[in-house]
Amino acid sequence: MQRYFISRVIQSLLVLAGVLMMVFFMMHLTGDPAGLMASRNASPEEIARLRDQMGLNRPMTIQFFEFAIDVLSGDFGNSTRYHQPAMDLILERLPATVELASISLFISMIIGIPLGLLGGSNPNSMVDYLARGAGLFGQTVPNFWLALILILVFGLHLGWFPTFGRETWRFMGLTLPTRSVFLPACSLSLFTLGQLARFTRSAVMEVRSEDYILTARSKGLSVRRIYIQHILRNASIPLISIVGVQFGYLLSGSIYIETIFSWPGLGNLLADAIGNRDFALVQGIAFFSSFVVVILNLLTDMAYATADPRVRYGE
Amino acid sequence: MMQSNNDNIEKEFNMKQKIRLFVILCTVIFSLAWSAAGVLAASDGKVLRLALTMDPNALEPAMADERNAAIVSWCLYDSLVAIDDDSRVIPALAESWTINPEGTVFTFKLRKGVTFHNGEPFNADDVLFTWNRGKRENIKYKDRFNLVKNVEKLDEYTVRMSTENSSPLLLRFMAEHWAMLPAKLMKKTGEDKFLAAPVGTGPFKFVKWSKGDRIEFEANKNYWKKGFPKAEKVIFRPIPESSTRVAAIQAGEVDLVTRLSAEEVAGLKGDANVRVVSYPVDRVYYIAFNNMTSGKGLPTEDPRVRQAMNYAVDVQSMLDALFNGKGRPSTGFVTPGNLGFDKAIKPFGYNPAKAKALLKEAGYPDGFKIGFACPSGAYTNFQQVCEAIQGYWAEMGIIAELQVMESGKYWDLEAKKELPPLFGDSWSETIGEAMSRLQGALGGNSAAYSTWWDEKIGAMLDQIKGTVDEEKRAELYITLQHYMQENPPFVYLYEPVTYEVVSSRVTDYKPRASEQYYLFETHIK
Repeated sequence: MQRYFISRVIQSLLVLAGVLMMVFFMMHLTGDPAGLMASRNASPEEIARLRDQMGLNRPMTIQFFEFAIDVLSGDFGNSTRYHQPAMDLILERLPATVELASISLFISMIIGIPLGLLGGSNPNSMVDYLARGAGLFGQTVPNFWLALILILVFGLHLGWFPTFGRETWRFMGLTLPTRSVFLPACSLSLFTLGQLARFTRSAVMEVRSEDYILTARSKGLSVRRIYIQHILRNASIPLISIVGVQFGYLLSGSIYIETIFSWPGLGNLLADAIGNRDFALVQGIAFFSSFVVVILNLLTDMAYATADPRVRYGE
Repeated sequence: MMQSNNDNIEKEFNMKQKIRLFVILCTVIFSLAWSAAGVLAASDGKVLRLALTMDPNALEPAMADERNAAIVSWCLYDSLVAIDDDSRVIPALAESWTINPEGTVFTFKLRKGVTFHNGEPFNADDVLFTWNRGKRENIKYKDRFNLVKNVEKLDEYTVRMSTENSSPLLLRFMAEHWAMLPAKLMKKTGEDKFLAAPVGTGPFKFVKWSKGDRIEFEANKNYWKKGFPKAEKVIFRPIPESSTRVAAIQAGEVDLVTRLSAEEVAGLKGDANVRVVSYPVDRVYYIAFNNMTSGKGLPTEDPRVRQAMNYAVDVQSMLDALFNGKGRPSTGFVTPGNLGFDKAIKPFGYNPAKAKALLKEAGYPDGFKIGFACPSGAYTNFQQVCEAIQGYWAEMGIIAELQVMESGKYWDLEAKKELPPLFGDSWSETIGEAMSRLQGALGGNSAAYSTWWDEKIGAMLDQIKGTVDEEKRAELYITLQHYMQENPPFVYLYEPVTYEVVSSRVTDYKPRASEQYYLFETHIK
């Protein structure tokens, strides 16, 4: 058990190192930002001076190692566009993304799991077709398209929800979401919802045919108890990993959804940073997002290993 | 057994209760959140809500890196002078000024009784501080401050500025970037703290900035221009996606949205709640020639070839096909709103026969091969424009090998003069005079983005820069425009039209060709 955990932690660290390298070199392949930072009327000398000041003239490897050392202390450098530490900007936008991600995941779970459960326990029924349809729809329809449709229908024509932006509500010292999160969360939950419905359905169908379900039935247990205590509990093991991985994906911020709804989260900030060639900020967000995904994957694997002894390959 | 059954029943009962409680709790929270949002979203009668296309990078005009930031910033500050709707320089925090005949010494009489939003009075010390701070390395537009070599305080309300060379454009540059800053406050708070809650003398006071979400200002009741501003509160909301901006104004969630395309506003005509505003912007699209690096020794060094390449392109057809016929075929780098624009100059126009004749005369009857580049995703339909131009030239036998590049990489290469000998781009102007655009694109080695050097143009630009008298300057611009038609350093394309949608509640909204608007008068009916 311990060996498994240690090897997973080491793997995760290697992944993070790889991410750090990729983020740095890919960004630098796209050119240097000195020209963009200077005004368009700047002389070549002014741009060269700026490049020099930003340290962009030094060998790439030296720039990388300095960057890596700074990252270890949580410093991604200053955003060239906002003239502020990139990490501060990331943390400033994080609550909006966490809010959107959690509510999206919640929506996916409360719709996707019951749908898959009902579908899987009544194969080839209407509800099963619905579950399979939802799975297919969620995983094939692009969420930015759905976002625009939701804005048109529920924001514009029915006027039930704001078409953009994030409104919060202060209640007993807490910042709580309002209905403004609903449309972006629905759009973002689409993919995860489809995946959860599909996986739950197949997991339930698999567990249903196990011998212990037959035993439970012959013992005279109520159908509901069989579902809640035996089928769902066993079917939920593969779901843990999906939920964990998806939450990481949702937390890293969705560029499309956040941009369409002008949701002030990380995805929106990343789109802005890429457009403005804000090196420090792009590197910061990309690394931060990868970090969240890697950590959540690690936690999921650990939870999984704890729940299911067969997973502990090391032993 | 009996006991266990009872346990189960009890458990199920508890479960049911819990579920019910959970559902009730969810409903209560949800309805509270719903109504809270309703209260928040309801618009106050006197609040102007404006959509931006991007979150500003800073709320200070010398740091503002694009139009959104400049628009928002100028609500908070004033400069010594301003530019009015007719592109004239008018007094602002300076009541009057004198300029010596050489255009090197500017003496300003400052307005008395003006206070910053924090109550600090405005005086000559603030002008000195603003200039010193503007020259710092981290300031984007430091070149606009470095123009001035010295600032002297003659008395509390008089300052004298001197420049090394004649600088007739200094006043316009000041109106664009020299926002007067409160010296005392800024010395105390430092740059970062100040920029987080900026203070100026402008028509609006800073209230709050939630990055990426909203910026809120309220009217400065003590504004020196009596009776202004007319709006009580202004809220800016960044909405990067244009289709969301359209939905937001239709839903009545904002009062003004900008930078839309003809297609996007087409559906809004006839909507009684909004009106569509469109106007030509001061931005010229062009294909640049190069005689400094990659284009040295190529056929395009011959003015006849450059003329031919202008005649070969049907700009009007491109405007018809790609921009619903809206836009103006360019006649040069001086546009209709600019000082010294010559109405007599006509665009080259589509004339393939003349193009062929000119090519033959220049010794290229069968055309030639040449490199060509365009940025992708930077401007509306620009890639299609470049592809169409490639097709027009091909008809003349000119084989332009088009490379479409990601815009960031493109501008990086452009600033290093490393693009192919032909490349497309656009250049906007914000001060009502074309000098920055001309100097930037034709300054030769003194300008990063210039790939063309013509000594005569260089000399003419120097002469314009040294002429203080506006009428004389206008005449010089006219001579330059004629020269630039005979010896075109560019293939002149078009000046686009921009579309905006304004709520019918809004009055006195006056946008300018520079796509800059000021909110002194704009308010809700």
